[in-house]
Amino acid sequence: MNARALTSEVLLGIIPIALAVALWQAISSFGYAPVTLLPPPGLVFSRLAQQLGTSNFQHEIASTLFRLFAGFSIAVILGVGIGLAAATNPVVNAVVRPIVRVLAPLPKVALYPALLLLLGFGHESKITLVAADALFPILLSTYYGASMVEQKLIWSAMAAGTPRRQILFKVVLPAAVPSILTGCRIGLVISCIVVFLAEMISSTDGLGHMLVTAARTFQAVDMFVPLITISLLGLILNGLLQGLRSYLLRGFPEV
Amino acid sequence: MIEIDHVSQIFRTSGRQAHLALSDISLTIEDGAFVSILGPSGCGKSTLLYIVGGFVSPTEGVARVKGRAITGPGPDRGPVFQEFALFPWKTVLGNVMYGPRQQGVKAAEADAQSRRLIEMVGLKGFENFYPKELSGGMKQRVALARTLAYHPAVLLMDEPFGALDAHTRTRLQNDLLNIWERDRKTVLFVTHSVDEAVFLSDKVVVMTRAPGRIKQIVDIELPRPRRRAELLLDPRYQKYVVEIERMIDDTSEDGLRP
Amino acid sequence: MMARVLSRLAPLLACLGLLAIWQAGSLMLNTESFPTAIEAVRAVPSILGDRESVINILDSLRRMAIAFAAALLFAIPLGLMMGRSRLVASFFNPLLMITYPVPKAALMPIIMLWLGVGDLAKMLVIFLGVSLPVIYHSFQGAKAVEEKMLWSGAAMGLSAPQRMIRIVLPAALPEILTGCRTGLVLALITMVTSEMIARQSGAGNILFNALDMGQYDTVYAMIIIIGAMGIGLDAAFEKLRSRLVRWSEPGFDIPLSFA
Repeated sequence: MNARALTSEVLLGIIPIALAVALWQAISSFGYAPVTLLPPPGLVFSRLAQQLGTSNFQHEIASTLFRLFAGFSIAVILGVGIGLAAATNPVVNAVVRPIVRVLAPLPKVALYPALLLLLGFGHESKITLVAADALFPILLSTYYGASMVEQKLIWSAMAAGTPRRQILFKVVLPAAVPSILTGCRIGLVISCIVVFLAEMISSTDGLGHMLVTAARTFQAVDMFVPLITISLLGLILNGLLQGLRSYLLRGFPEV
Repeated sequence: MIEIDHVSQIFRTSGRQAHLALSDISLTIEDGAFVSILGPSGCGKSTLLYIVGGFVSPTEGVARVKGRAITGPGPDRGPVFQEFALFPWKTVLGNVMYGPRQQGVKAAEADAQSRRLIEMVGLKGFENFYPKELSGGMKQRVALARTLAYHPAVLLMDEPFGALDAHTRTRLQNDLLNIWERDRKTVLFVTHSVDEAVFLSDKVVVMTRAPGRIKQIVDIELPRPRRRAELLLDPRYQKYVVEIERMIDDTSEDGLRP
Repeated sequence: MMARVLSRLAPLLACLGLLAIWQAGSLMLNTESFPTAIEAVRAVPSILGDRESVINILDSLRRMAIAFAAALLFAIPLGLMMGRSRLVASFFNPLLMITYPVPKAALMPIIMLWLGVGDLAKMLVIFLGVSLPVIYHSFQGAKAVEEKMLWSGAAMGLSAPQRMIRIVLPAALPEILTGCRTGLVLALITMVTSEMIARQSGAGNILFNALDMGQYDTVYAMIIIIGAMGIGLDAAFEKLRSRLVRWSEPGFDIPLSFA
């Protein structure tokens, strides 16, 4: 695709977003909705800009990000580890498969009250919830990627003198990387969502908590700010992961 | 020397059905010989190659290389697959260097050796390309270089040119023969192209449709080095091709019977 | 024979195993806030026997079903159109990208501000939550339909809308159904979460009221009930899915669950 087509596509994509903002502006400036219900976009964005400078808000973002990263990292380590083990070892596979079948569709948020009771209201319960939710897409896509590795790739490596126990790290893992990264991308979006929800349900800080506080006092402007922030965070993190992906997968054919 | 001694292979498909892929194959391949295994698809010819490679163990019988029973893959037998099977995360150079590095060759030396091999297969200048950036023919050249890099005594070629267009295939056949003339490795070459088998080989092993048995072994007594343009006009070449085509026709008819 | 029975029973065994781990864990910790699995299971019938709880749970399920159906009607056609037209795709893609990481249940307070606390607000949130994965999967499915299949259709005289319904829709069906499966679990989760946040009625509300009042047995029993609903709905849908697309290659599907 040439650069001009790309630019025109980006422009096209901006239209609905611009339209949505314009509609939003119109509704509030023509007085269809009072400012207390729907503050105009200008107000929301200037509030966001102003908030970004305050150390208080930075602290909220930091605690949300901390929980997000901690939970996501645990999910990546466990997911890739268990996924690889299940794909390469029949015994692990026989144990892991049914457990995953039961736990993957289980609505993990429902476990949150139990986590609160067991781990307390601090970071631990939220991190655990994020990890539990992000784990399964990463685990399943690792498992899928590792069990789909072309047999002849493994044979080629074995013929070149690779010992059996090194095949996992020299062939299976690198060959599964595209699939693992797909799982990570889903897991990352889930982490953003879940950390926010957990903070809304019970927390003393973080973006989710900001939203709840604002809702209690009917501060509509302050309700929009954390929502827009989490959306932006999601976009930035997704962009970073995309960058990592295109670096790691520079050899792989486009999917 | 490779000895295949009363080898049979049974695959269990889902359910309890057993599929007899190879039935009592015995074959001896001399060092330095170029031997093709030819047969209709599904005759188990690739399976036979995988058994020699040590990737598949036979249900019955034994395969030996230099008198020792084959128990697994080893760098003395290098495969080249139709699917190329290059490591997509490694560059051309990285792929070719993989074997020597695995054998413990020092990085600088492996690098130099690999660059020479890449040049030999005609890919100088492509060292830092990724496989996805190469055409099918070029990928297969890389795969050949990757295998040659760890100096296997035997090349196991599994329909290596099957996925290439006719023109590229001819060029690669010529290049393969040139390389083979130079160091006379033992080659076991699986193909379903009669023309290819006769052109390349000292010996063509014709197999029947499943269950795979050896129907006949044809010695190809054509002078070397072979030139394709000359051979095509050579009545001896034409006779071999026609003779083998007829054998294959027979076996195919057999296979159609329910 | 033995192996087949065992593989059939494996998920059940896994459930029992997990409950056993729970039982052992709670016996070891021995705190009031972590009742044993047996105590929690025992509390299930008392919830399901309570008229008001059952009405609450059924209400939740009704909202979920309506919102789920509405989301499918909206998301599948949109996804298919995005998959077949670059123009439509590049029009909607960025909008979907920025809404993806926003927790839909978190919109609850704002939507409640506009629509009140009634059914409509809750259903709208579930609708939004379900729509995104269904759009995404329908999009992917339609994009992967082979051009030549459509050419054959055109050669047989099918008009563009006919091709969409008779070729693109069935060809993309496996992928669409994968999206629906994700959407279904998601609907349940969004339902519970929005009720946890709005705290008006429904299954999520029972769960949190019990938590506030220190009725730990009820908390864990509700977790079991909601968990069983998730697993049950997913299993039922998977059965339907494998029946509808028997012809397709078994593919890669992740039964995701997040809000």
